[in-house]
Amino acid sequence: MPREEICNEILFDMGVNLKRFLVGSFLILAPVIAVQSVKQTSWGPILAAPKARQMGDPGAKVVIVEYSDFQCPSCAKIQPTLHQFLDIYKGKIRLIYKYYPLTKIHKNAMPAAHAAECAATQDHFWPYHDRLFQTQMSWESLQDPTTSFMAIAQSVNLDVPKFQACYADPSRLAVIEQDAKEAQERQVAATPTFFVGDERLVGQVFATDGARAIEKALRQ
Amino acid sequence: MKYIQLFGRVIVGGVLIYAGFMKAAGPTAEFSAILEAYELFPPFLLTPLSSLLPYVEMWVGLFILSGFCTRQAALAAALLATSFAVSVGSTFLRHIDLTTCGCFGAHSLTPHQTMVLDIVLLGLSLVVYRLSKYLPPWSLDQALQ
Repeated sequence: MPREEICNEILFDMGVNLKRFLVGSFLILAPVIAVQSVKQTSWGPILAAPKARQMGDPGAKVVIVEYSDFQCPSCAKIQPTLHQFLDIYKGKIRLIYKYYPLTKIHKNAMPAAHAAECAATQDHFWPYHDRLFQTQMSWESLQDPTTSFMAIAQSVNLDVPKFQACYADPSRLAVIEQDAKEAQERQVAATPTFFVGDERLVGQVFATDGARAIEKALRQ
Repeated sequence: MKYIQLFGRVIVGGVLIYAGFMKAAGPTAEFSAILEAYELFPPFLLTPLSSLLPYVEMWVGLFILSGFCTRQAALAAALLATSFAVSVGSTFLRHIDLTTCGCFGAHSLTPHQTMVLDIVLLGLSLVVYRLSKYLPPWSLDQALQ
């Protein structure tokens, strides 16, 4: 083969390879650019929660916001870890509970949140919250969990007639719906979702990564 | 045959691009939590895997849809579909109750629906792989020849 033909072939191959390299680079970069242009990097605001749904030192440096559903097994499973963190970082962290009942898959999540909100009006949110998670399996599949919720109210020393009146009043549901709306605006799709400062931790990842996130927030 | 191949490329590529994009556009922590629920990966792998996997899906999907390195992309798609099917299938055997597969981000299919989808994707990827032995029609491979 004459030298000129060999050179032409090499140049042709280089041209084809350059085109393939450019097309390949474009195909690799295109999704990265597309995702970065639509990805939400800042979330909506966290609205103030009543004192009854806050635990820990009010002046604590780190605030942990939990979006949770009383009928969610993963939310019940994470409770011991959460209590452990509150003990270890006493005075350094404050927990805020936000309702996020996943009503499409948990039919008793909204009534449970309603009952907890009624306990909050009597400043007994946390004992009621703990009992709801501890007894989750006993009421989650009930057609009407009202009797169970009344029994819990009695066991945590609530004013039962007052609790009953509150539970019968649908106006308290607005508080829950407001929390759920806030969760949706913050792109919370699963429970439990925690925000430790700016960092989002979902599900049992909080158990493995929570301490690191708290330490990081404390250092900032 | 060329229409069957094109059909396979459009379906496999379209599903992979959509699945990858929905996960990549949402918060990475959501996908990490879904991966964690499979109980297959050590905790330190969850964040890197949940950041990278959606892009791998999109890259493979784009390559197969546009017909660029079609044969290799079809093989990669078949490997992805197999690994997804094995992951979901293993949760059935280990009695892990996944509420969602996490395939399309927050709003996803049930594990059983996912299994069917993965098997369909695997089948179509293998068809595309086999038919891409020669230059695939309406493809970048053909245009850049």
